[in-house]
Order: sequence, then structure tokens, then C-alpha cells
Amino acid sequence: MCGIIGVAGADDATSAVLLEGLSNLEYRGYDSAGIAVGGDEVEVEKKEGELSALKRALAGRTLDGAVGIGHTRWSTHGPPSDENAHPHTDESGRVAVVHNGIIENYRALRDELEAKGVSFSSETDTEVVPHLIAEALDAGADPESAFRRAVERLEGSYALAAVVAGTDAIFAARHDSPLVLGIGDGAHYLASDIPAFLERTRDVVYLDEGEFAVLTPGDWRVEDELGEPVEKEVETVEWTAEQTGKSGYDHFMLKEIHEQPKALRQCLRGRVDELEGRITVEELDGLDAPEEVHFLACGTSYHAARYGALLLQEAGVHATAFLSSEYATSLPPIARDTLVVGITQSGETADTLSALRKARGRGVETVALTNVVGSTVARECDHVMYIRAGPEIGVAATKTFSSQLVGLNLFVEQLLADEPRNRDVRELVSALRDLPGQVQEVLDESRADEVVEEFMGAKSFFFIGRGVHYPVALEGALKFKEITYEHAEGFAAGELKHGPLALVTEETPVFALVTGDGENARKTIGNVKEVEARGAPVVVVTDGESDAERYADSVLEIPATHERTVPILANVQLQLVAYYMARRLGRAIDKPRNLAKSVTVE
Amino acid sequence: MDIESAVVLAAGEGTRLRPLTKHRPKPMLPAANRPILEYVFDALIDAGVEDLHLVVGYKRDRVQNHFGAAYRDRPITYHVQGKQLGSGHALLQASHALDADFLVVNGDQIVREETVTAVREAHTVEDVATLAVIESEEAPNYGAVKLDGDRVVEFTEKPRSDSYRLLNAGVYVFAPSFFVEVESTPRQHGELSLSDSIAQLVENGSPVRGVLTDGIWEDATYPWDLLSLARKLMNRGLVEGAAGPNAAVVPGGRDGAGGPDGAGGTDRTDGAGGADEPGRVDGPEGVDGTDGASETAGAGRTAGLRGAAALDRSAGADGVYVDRTATVHPDATLQGPAIVGPDSVIGPAAVVGPNTALGRNVTVEAGAVVRGSVVDVDSRVGPNATLVDCVTGEGVQVGAGTVAPGGSADVRIGTRIHEGCQLGAVIADRARLDGGATVEPGSLVGPHASVRTGAHVRGDVDEGAEVRR
Repeated sequence: MCGIIGVAGADDATSAVLLEGLSNLEYRGYDSAGIAVGGDEVEVEKKEGELSALKRALAGRTLDGAVGIGHTRWSTHGPPSDENAHPHTDESGRVAVVHNGIIENYRALRDELEAKGVSFSSETDTEVVPHLIAEALDAGADPESAFRRAVERLEGSYALAAVVAGTDAIFAARHDSPLVLGIGDGAHYLASDIPAFLERTRDVVYLDEGEFAVLTPGDWRVEDELGEPVEKEVETVEWTAEQTGKSGYDHFMLKEIHEQPKALRQCLRGRVDELEGRITVEELDGLDAPEEVHFLACGTSYHAARYGALLLQEAGVHATAFLSSEYATSLPPIARDTLVVGITQSGETADTLSALRKARGRGVETVALTNVVGSTVARECDHVMYIRAGPEIGVAATKTFSSQLVGLNLFVEQLLADEPRNRDVRELVSALRDLPGQVQEVLDESRADEVVEEFMGAKSFFFIGRGVHYPVALEGALKFKEITYEHAEGFAAGELKHGPLALVTEETPVFALVTGDGENARKTIGNVKEVEARGAPVVVVTDGESDAERYADSVLEIPATHERTVPILANVQLQLVAYYMARRLGRAIDKPRNLAKSVTVE
Repeated sequence: MDIESAVVLAAGEGTRLRPLTKHRPKPMLPAANRPILEYVFDALIDAGVEDLHLVVGYKRDRVQNHFGAAYRDRPITYHVQGKQLGSGHALLQASHALDADFLVVNGDQIVREETVTAVREAHTVEDVATLAVIESEEAPNYGAVKLDGDRVVEFTEKPRSDSYRLLNAGVYVFAPSFFVEVESTPRQHGELSLSDSIAQLVENGSPVRGVLTDGIWEDATYPWDLLSLARKLMNRGLVEGAAGPNAAVVPGGRDGAGGPDGAGGTDRTDGAGGADEPGRVDGPEGVDGTDGASETAGAGRTAGLRGAAALDRSAGADGVYVDRTATVHPDATLQGPAIVGPDSVIGPAAVVGPNTALGRNVTVEAGAVVRGSVVDVDSRVGPNATLVDCVTGEGVQVGAGTVAPGGSADVRIGTRIHEGCQLGAVIADRARLDGGATVEPGSLVGPHASVRTGAHVRGDVDEGAEVRR
């Protein structure tokens, strides 16, 4: 959740590299930041607030040293403050530590240390770590052993990095929280996310669970829990720093909304064959149609999961979408022939990882649907399918949701390819190939900006849809609340009259998703009439196939297409609705309050 | 002189290319199957430019989204021109980012690397401005130049006098002090033109250098010019970088499906065969400002490659380029020069080419014939349809058996009639032609227009209009 950056061997540029890395991690959402530079002495500067506050505190001063670590914090223990910001130090200031994750036994450790007379200066769980290291140093251990001894005491999830005075090295450890090394020319890096150092190097080493790493200006090595050296493969990442710039857009979110045609083309490439009328996902080759499918996901990915479950149900496969945190909390019965599919953009979502681990404990096959190559979920699941959306920086997921929906179409057809049902996917293949251009059409012609203007100051915003549009209604509402801070809810269109209708007034605009002219459209139009009768302003997102426009105050048009791809187009309109509303309200669109891009705590 | 930075002006729409500019500015229209602007960037980078400044305005999302933050690893800084108030005003948008001498080129006009290099090398610290100059009979109709040695001694817009033989090619190097000159130039009809500022410099006796260069590529002024532009680029084999700057970004991906024969590498022979350039409109129009300065220089000089026999692709066909992610049915015929863009699909018994460029994700279905045409991204040509000498926008749908047979026609653009254009049709973004329709030569089908089954199209179809039988 928080961000970590470290560098060894940057010479005079240590603090500059750290600040650059923190700035690249800024999108993760945080409330304080700090850096520590090691060498003969350890120097620390940290500040509550945005990175600019830290820069002001440094006031042009550069901290010198061969190694350094930096951190952006998103509060889990203790409110944002200078004291609670990382890096944390021991009493003598010899040791500085940055940490992502949660140390579950910190209370017991803290009590133990305090009983020995150690005084704490923050309310964080992290601070136990530097004190434990200092304790081991005092007992005569060398810095590396001291770090190891401290880590052995910890329970919970962590990615840790530490510097110790008098040693030109960074010590790092990973357990249930991501950590990646960057292997540069002369300098070596470590970070919680690759973009932190992507401007410096594209050669990376992914740390696995329980591994330790030591970075020095000239060298790096990885060891397992027992201290045995581990041979690690250096991989080159395809993403380049240039992709993470804003390229003239006001916000990453708008840039990413506009990147959707490109993202979808990448997702489809090589997987759909129009001449043969075939869909193949090579990396899932050999995966047979299961009896039952469980989708596990959180947030936006959960809405994608619901869509995926609908597709499978239509094909006659038992499929259910679960919220990862609930799944992990109360595990449902899992039949042996169940396929468990985790959907996580970052591949690091702690709730989903934890739920997947529980499912694996039951001995079932697992699949990861993710965007990040080499992520934890990709390494822990039996199979992985990438959605290939490219890096997403905006906290509010946009292009990755679209790519997840397209990816799920491919996933479902790959799964059922050998079924005797002999599914005819020709129409779907054509529709998928037409989709990027249709998304472009929506982007070129959307009236979302004008439409939202009419609803400034409304009390609540409702989004309704039926069937495949229900997950989109949920997602439309989530996106809206995430970045506008206005109250929004998504409902199954047919469910309104069973309760929520009581909330509907002239001050609650309702966004209704109506496409095609079949039964679903007819019924949803019925629901639209219900809210219209209560005086609510209605915006329909429609392909113009039905007469839904007649009951609407405003219309957001989308092209008519296959019923499985049309929700993706409807969702693009809702993304723009949320974006333009948030912009009119002056919100921090790329860094909405209290939220972080990838949630690596449970 | 070592010039690191270049400003590329790409904020204007390019109204004479309507209706193709409905959703994107002219620099993003296809030259063969890549945006014109990519060729401009290529020339600059090949000439040694490290830092790109792009002035954007009209439909800037499209430009920003295509290029992102860098092109060929050179960072792009975007400068937004809120209102299109002339080329000088456009340049001023980038002024705060430039503190050393810099290049300026138009983003909607293909430029040669040699021209950029010549200007870059000739410019010295003493010069406030250096500009590329070419010999052309058209000089009196454009920004005409007179040189005394390497000094520009006269700079006049459209002098209409035969004594002028040199024109301004629209490739410049300026010193930062030039911004002051632009700011002090009087606006004409509210617009601030670069050439007015240059003329002012010359009048004041400031050092303005002229570099005689070999000429430039033909520009696309009207929609049908995209056809001859594509033909020239294909004949010169200049389409190879067709993958574009962002093509290879497929995390965890693998090389796409690939065509049945993997496609790709081919020899290219310049100007083999030989046929007439399709009738080009004569006489450049009176255009304002600098943008049009060299638009028709070089017009009608290259010969196209016509009537080549069906080529056997597996034997290394001449001038056939198929992207590795495209799929071509083994029973389809590709006749060079032809380009098939990424993700495109060619069905059985389809015939594509010669002189045809298909953009990204284009589908040519079974038995369709596409010849002498530029078909832009996401378009579909239905079974047994025929497109000859056509230019399409994005996402165009041509139904089964619909025919645009091509031929010579008079085309009206604005108030002007262009006689004898070799133009099958211009079909703008997302126009939809249902099955069995007939499109007469020279027709312009507007964006989102709908031509119903069996209808007959002649002349203009307005945006969003429906044509029934």
C-alpha cells in the first residue's frame, strides 16, 4: 500500500534518486514521505503530507551517502504525522527502516522492548523493527545478522528495507508484500513497484516469499530464509518509463481512459482469429472446462468477476463471484473439480492473495487474471493469463477494467473451447475485433461532460442495469464515489422497487443502462419509468435500439454491438461521467483521498 | 550548429481535408498506414534532434494518446494552443521551454531528414533565423524568397510575380530571440503568422539565413492527395517502421498470431513499372500564412507502380508489407505495393493492392477487392465489395457487394470544383455502407453517414445523413 524505494551506488545522486522514486510512487496515494541515507552515519528526513512537503523540509539540502531508502506512507497504524512517517530509527539513530505491510505481533514486541527500557517515538507497528535490529547490534551481531534476527521475530506481512550506520549496504526482506530489485549500471535499486526506478533500469529481479536481499554499491545478492544464496533470474520489463508520463493529459485517469482502444488491441492480439472463428489463450492451453468456477476479487476487479461469472453461467457452468476478503473469512465448500480464478490488476492485492492461498490449501487448481507480469499472484497460481493493459497509474481503475472484461470473454471461450457444445464464437470474434474502434467512437463523441453539468449539487447518484449491465452499474457507481466523493450506488434494475426506490427524488439522478431491444431492455425501461415517476432525472446510456430515450432527460449514446461487448462501451461512458464530475468538483482525481492503487494489506 | 530541440506545429485541423478531420487533426491522417506526424518525427530524430516539443490544439487527445510521452525514446513535451490563432501564436506556446536555438517544422507535412540536417548545419550563432529554401515554379504563389548568397534579402507572401523562383520550405531554425520578434509582429485578422515575423526580420535587416535544399515531399492538401502520398511512400519503401511507437508493449505477450506466411520482409524497388500520376488538381489555391508555403512543391513528379501482376508473397513479393500481427488467408492475393497493418485480416480470395495501404485492424472479407486505396484503422470491407481509388476514415463499414468502382470525377471542396480527380470515393469516419450499394467516382460520404442496402451514392453525403434506395 505504501511505497518503498532504495538505491545503492548512486554516488552523489542518492537523495535525488530517492526523491525521483518517491515521486514515481506518488500515485499510490499517501499521507507522508521520508528518506534515509546511510554511510558512516544515517541521516533521516521525513514529513507529513505530500512529497512537496518533504522537498521543502530538505530545502535543497542533499543527504550524502552510498546507500539510501525512501518511503511513502498510507496510514494503517497511527494517523499521518512527521513522527509516524517512515523511515523509523532506533534510539541512537544508527538504524533506519522502511516497511510496507502490517506487523501483526507488533504489540507484543513493543511491550517486550518497552519493558527493556526502549522508548518509542511513533505509534507505528514498523518502529519495532529498528529497535530489534539495534538490540541485536548491541548484542554483537553484524548488521546483516542483526537484520535477519529482527525479521525472524516478525509476524504478518512485510516488505522491509534497512540501512545501518557504518555499512554501505541495504538489507531487505519480503513476506507477503511485494519487493523488486532493479539491476542498473553501477547502481542497484529496490522498490515496491517497478515504476519507482523504471527511469533508471529495466532489468529487474523479483524477490520471492521469505527471501532476503543485500544491495551494495557494487553488488547484489539474494538469500533464502536459511541464508543460502539463491540464483535469481534477471528479467527485463517491457514497460518503459515513458508510458508512465501524463503525456499532455491533465490526469492519468483521462490518459488511461483514452488508452483503452490500445489496451484492448493488446489484450486481443494473437488470441482471436477471425478467419478460423476461434479464440485461443495460449497460456491457458491444457486447462479443461471445470465443473464449477469461483472468481475471487476486490473492488473494480470484483465487478469484472461478476461479469465473468455471468458469462460462464450463460454457458451452463456453475460460476460464482466472491469478494476475496469474505471468501478468506468464511470459506465456502469447494468441490474438487472447482477452478478458482483470482482477478487482481496489480497481482498484489493482499485480500485476493490470501483467499487464493486458502483455496489452494483445499487442493484445487488456481488461475490468475492480472495485468502485472511477475506479480505475486502470477507466481503463486497454477496458471496465469495477462490482460496486457499496460501500466495503470490512476488510483481509479479504468482501462484495466475494460481489459479484464475482454480478457474474461477470452478466458471463458478458451475454457469451453473443447466442449461438445461446439460454441460458435464467430460473431463474438468480430465484435471483439470491432471493440477498440467502438471505444474510440465513444471517446470521440461522448457528451458526458455536458451531461454531468446538469447534475452539479445533486444529492445522490444511482446507476441501474440488468444482466451484464448490472456489474457495469456497480462499477459506474464505484468509480463515481471513488473520485467525486459524492454518494453513488449501483443497483440491479429490478431490485430498485424492493427498497432503494424510497431514496429516489428529484435530487437523485439515475443513470440507466439500456441496450438492445429485447426483454432486458424492455424491463429496464420499466424500471426507468418507476424512477421517472418519482421525479428523478434520468440519463440513459443506450445503443438506440430501444425507445429508452423517450423516458430520459439526457442520453449517452454508444454503438450497437454484441451483447457481450456492449457493457464495455456503456462503462466507458460512465468512466467519463465520473471523470468530468470529479473535474468539475475539483477533486484530486489521480489520488483520491484515503485510497491507494494496490491494496497490499488485508 | 548543434540543435537539440525541435518544435512541431500540430495544432491546426487542416480544414481542406474535411471530412477526414472530423475526429483528428491533419497530422494524424494516414500517410500510407502511419500518421503523417510520425514521418515528421522520424526526419527530426534521424537528423539528430533529441528533444521534441509538440504544439497541439484541435483534437489533441488523439495526438497525445498516439504518441504518449516519447517517440523513439525522445521525450515529447506537449504545449497546448487553446485557440488556433496562427503559426506564430502556436510557436509562442512553447517559448517558455526553449532557451537555446531550436528547429521548427509543420506537423502535417512530411519533411526530409536531409532538409532538416541542411538547415541545422547551416545555422550559426549569428543567425536569428535560418530557413530551408527550395526552387519551384510555384514560388510566386507561396512564401517566396530571394537570396543574396546565403542571406535572405526578401521574404514575401504570394508576390504573384514570375521573378521569384525560390520558396520557403517551412523548415526553420530560430534563436530564442525570435520569440520577441513574434510577439512584436502585428496580428492579421487576429492571427499571428510565422511568415509575417520572418518577413519583419528580413525587413529590419536582421540576419536571416537561407539554405537551398533539394525539395520536399508532396503534401496532402485534399483528401485524394492521401492516395498519391501513400503510393509515393510505398514506392520508396518508407513504410517499414509501420509498427509505430507503442506497438510492442504487450506485457507477458508473445508475438501475435502472425499470418499464414509470417509476412514481412520484402524488397522494394523504386518506380518500377510506371504509370500516370492520377490527375492532380492544378494550381495551388491561395492559402494564407506559412502552412501552405510548400504544399504542392514536388507535385506530380513521381510515378506510381501500377498494374503489377499478382505477386507470389512466399517468393518475396515486391513491395508487399504485411505486419507480423496481421492474418492473410492463403487464398488471398496481395499485389505490391501494398501494406497490411497490424491486427488486420484478409479473407479468402480477396485481392488487395496494388497501391493500397490498410491501417491497423482492417478487415477485408472474402472475395473483396481493394485497389489504389487507403483504408484506415478498424474499417471493414465486406464480402465481394470493391473499393478502387478510395480513401476511408476510421471504423468505416462497407457491406457485402458494395461497389466503388473508381474513375475520374469532378469533386467539389468548399466552393471550388476540382476537375478530373482520380477518386473512387472519400468515406469518412464510421460511415456505414450496407450491402449492394453503388458509389460513384468522386463521392464524399460524411462521418456517420448511412448508405442503405442497394442505394446509389453520387456527390456528397452529409455527416450523419441516410441514403436510401
